[in-house]
Amino acid sequence: MRALDRKLLRDLWNVRSQVLAIALVVSSGVALLVMAQGVFGSLLTTRDAYYARYAFADVFAGAKRVPNWVEQRIAAIPGVKQVQTRVVVSVSLDVPDVSDPVNGRLISLPDRGRPALNDVALRRGRFLDPDRAEEALVGERFAEAHGLDLGDRLFAVINGRRQPLEIVGVALSPEYVYGIGPGELFPDPKHFGFLWMTRRHLATAFEMEGGFNDVALTLADRSPSLERAAIVELDAILDPYGGLGAIPRADQTSNWYLQNELTQLQNMGLLIPLIFLAVATFLLNVVLRRTVAVQREQIAALKALGYSNLRLGVHYVQWAVVVVALGALIGIGAGLLLAEAMLGMYMEYFRFPLLVYKVSASGILIAVGVSLAAATVGALGAVRSVVSLPPAEAMRPATPETFRVSLFERLGARRWLSQPARMVLRNLSRRPLRAVLSIVGIAFAGAIMVVGWAMMDSMDELLEVQFNIIQRQDLSVSFFEPVERSAVHELAALPGVLQVEPTGAVAARLRNGHLQKQTAIQALAPGARLRRVVDIDYRAIRLDRPGLVLSTVLADQLQVEPGDMLLVEVMEAARPVREVVLTDTVDDLLGVTAYMEQESLQRLVRRDEAMNGAMLRIDRLAEERLYGLLKAMPAVAGVTLRSAALESIRTYMLDNMSMMMSVNLFFALIIAFGVIYNTARISLSETSRELASLRVIGFTRAEISSILLGELGVLTLAAIPLGLLLGYGMITGVMSAFESELFRLPVVVESSTFVVSAAAVLGSMAISAWTVRRKLHDLDLVAVLKTRE
Amino acid sequence: MNTAAPAATAGSTRTPPVFAMRGVTKVYAMGEVEVHALRGVDLDLHDGEFAVLLGPSGSGKSTLLNILGGLDGPTDGLVTYRGRELSLGGDRALTRYRRRHVGFVFQFYNLIPSLTARENVALVTEIAGDPIAPEDALALVGLKYRLDHFPSQMSGGEQQRVAIARAIAKRPDVLLCDEPTGALDISTGIAVLGALEKVNSELGTTTAVITHNAAISAMADRVISLADGLITSDVRNSTKQPAATIEW
Repeated sequence: MRALDRKLLRDLWNVRSQVLAIALVVSSGVALLVMAQGVFGSLLTTRDAYYARYAFADVFAGAKRVPNWVEQRIAAIPGVKQVQTRVVVSVSLDVPDVSDPVNGRLISLPDRGRPALNDVALRRGRFLDPDRAEEALVGERFAEAHGLDLGDRLFAVINGRRQPLEIVGVALSPEYVYGIGPGELFPDPKHFGFLWMTRRHLATAFEMEGGFNDVALTLADRSPSLERAAIVELDAILDPYGGLGAIPRADQTSNWYLQNELTQLQNMGLLIPLIFLAVATFLLNVVLRRTVAVQREQIAALKALGYSNLRLGVHYVQWAVVVVALGALIGIGAGLLLAEAMLGMYMEYFRFPLLVYKVSASGILIAVGVSLAAATVGALGAVRSVVSLPPAEAMRPATPETFRVSLFERLGARRWLSQPARMVLRNLSRRPLRAVLSIVGIAFAGAIMVVGWAMMDSMDELLEVQFNIIQRQDLSVSFFEPVERSAVHELAALPGVLQVEPTGAVAARLRNGHLQKQTAIQALAPGARLRRVVDIDYRAIRLDRPGLVLSTVLADQLQVEPGDMLLVEVMEAARPVREVVLTDTVDDLLGVTAYMEQESLQRLVRRDEAMNGAMLRIDRLAEERLYGLLKAMPAVAGVTLRSAALESIRTYMLDNMSMMMSVNLFFALIIAFGVIYNTARISLSETSRELASLRVIGFTRAEISSILLGELGVLTLAAIPLGLLLGYGMITGVMSAFESELFRLPVVVESSTFVVSAAAVLGSMAISAWTVRRKLHDLDLVAVLKTRE
Repeated sequence: MNTAAPAATAGSTRTPPVFAMRGVTKVYAMGEVEVHALRGVDLDLHDGEFAVLLGPSGSGKSTLLNILGGLDGPTDGLVTYRGRELSLGGDRALTRYRRRHVGFVFQFYNLIPSLTARENVALVTEIAGDPIAPEDALALVGLKYRLDHFPSQMSGGEQQRVAIARAIAKRPDVLLCDEPTGALDISTGIAVLGALEKVNSELGTTTAVITHNAAISAMADRVISLADGLITSDVRNSTKQPAATIEW
């Protein structure tokens, strides 16, 4: 090893704690980047492999009942490659030992052979025996949630009759990677499950013999024009059979959520790592500048010995490279571990039968490359000022630093300040840029913490609004067919029912020119108390004018404003097509919805019985008996508990976001500590001689500590309000990045979040201060008398 | 056992000494080698005395000064300040001792570069019990017109005189100067010595100056020579020469 390399290693060893602090900041950035890249890449690759292997379809459509011969016509649509017709029905499920209402979807599999499209992946057990009517495959998450095993039995409630089902296999399907029930936003496998049955037996049970009610197809290619044309043709073919409107793969529920998540990962995975790398570069620069300043005479001596400027430049660049490389190494390792943990968490919500683990090397290389380049530039800047001096001049000590009375003092504060306070202020104002950058660095750490905690605040707010202000029912009941109003009275007469409000939903396609959206229009009674529409200030909006009210997100997608007309194509009953005025938009938080006043909707659909559901408030004491009674009513398709919905969303958010947030918070603490600790060490190195002199003339340890830490304190105190402000700005940005059809998080920052974030920054300062203070105790008082700097 | 040097015996008849050292040794471990900096020193210093401790480098004079100033403790032996033992009480007591009783002047001034002359002095007066106003202290060393200059705006001699003003502003009982002219040329060095002389005569501050410059001993009441960790001579000057007339 060359002597200069030895010097490099020993120099680094001497400032090892600072080196480690900077390396950790670098590693935080790299780790977050690797994690985001890894999770994104793996999910994307896994999804594509899954879709390809199990023949996920390109277009999906539902209808009321289509005769089997129509399949030929569908197959003849230009560009259609393969067609798979099915019977798909929604049922209530009776799971042994479960009293809560459970709903399910039964999906048919061909009597013989594998389905051409949307094949199932068998996880355990065997495929169905076409000769046995009771056999079923059950979705994996549902099986896990209820501890169901092969051979276990459960019952589908069909027209009030209990049809027994025997589980012979556990399966996954590319159609239900994100497995949610109708109208739900988050998977709730305890209350909703997917089951597969042989076509013949399912058709028999639901009087669907000789027909189908669901079709999926693949296209020769996925060009948008072909897709659009195929959808138009398919709609035309299915229209006489109660077609519910075909949708492309992009709008298929599970795929849509998955895509949404991927986009979010991609967006979020970049911003925060970049902040970390910028802070690390700054720290590296400051520490290097100080090192070079201290080694001024050594550099001169080396030059005098004949080392070239280039060689010395390389020496200090190596310094930076070693630190960044160390950080990158730790970061890549930690990032891979985190990516694996994150993927494990994703696998809970997005179910795949296979996992292709893929981390893109190019993303990591770019991150490391950028930080190396930044470090090199910083190192060169630090070295240039010294190597440009002639050796003889460099060997003399640098001229004493010139100081000025700081601006703050000149404004009149001077006479109130003690001498130590003046030292602190003047040290800071001598290097204003460095002070500002330190403040910004610490502020970023505080801001990241604010973002972390504010996400929690926002979620609490969302849950509060959604489940205490908007949805106030205890449970909602859906019917197979629209029912008369009298059915509502029947519900009200059931024991334990305190309040009933009818609801209705009509499948429809909303159109504005070429923009369209398939959705359900919710019918609400003008004075509804259990399910309400609220405005941005959470005041209930009375739906008393004829016309549509849309979620703002939906209105934006369709590019309509209140007062505009929309074309509504009803997909049910007589399938009327009408122009309807948009009366209002609401900034709702969950999902996207279209609302209409009940009677206007009935007029629009042109039928009297527009009620296909009801909201109930019930007596908790009577709930079990009530569930049993509801399940036995032939008209009831499903019962959904509000508490279960609340539970599933809470679990989802806790799982999904709290992990991301803990990771961010942990790294924010690293930034805070990295910046504050390095600032402290630098100012200790710059002022240790002064501080030792003060000790000699009688200042106590506490007094000199307060001078050193005063500087830190000023920086930290200045950084905190900036950090809180920055955090507020960032959370606003993050929330709009998070904005999706799934949910919009309101920007809510509780004061406790500010307090906790500020406290965390102060805590980092306290730890840094405590570490550095121990060094102050070791100041060599005697040496300071005998040496000049 | 040799109880005291002749000059000290003469002094002790007047008042008790400010400092008394008895059998003081100091051994440093420099890596694996033991360095005996002091090998059994007995010394008394009296109120108002201007003492010069003379010796080549390595003679132990700085170690002696550090022990007197409470910056370092002896390996063995007894050091008392006004009858109280200095080595008792640990760091806290030594800090209090330096803060109340000792004024230091260093070879390289050790001023705080971010504070002006006045503020450097105020640094001490703010923590002292009965200080001299910073302006008066600076006037005493002839720097009445440099009050608001920063160290970087002053010559070495001026900086050293600020250091002296800073040292005396708390009215210390003893002023300890470690090579105060070591970094200065003759003319500025003389000005600094003049300031020390003035402080000693006007305030009566006991002053100990260590130096390897024999010429300075001419202005002292007492000249103590050290070599190899031992006091080799202790002489009282019959006539003191004014600082202004010293040459080297």
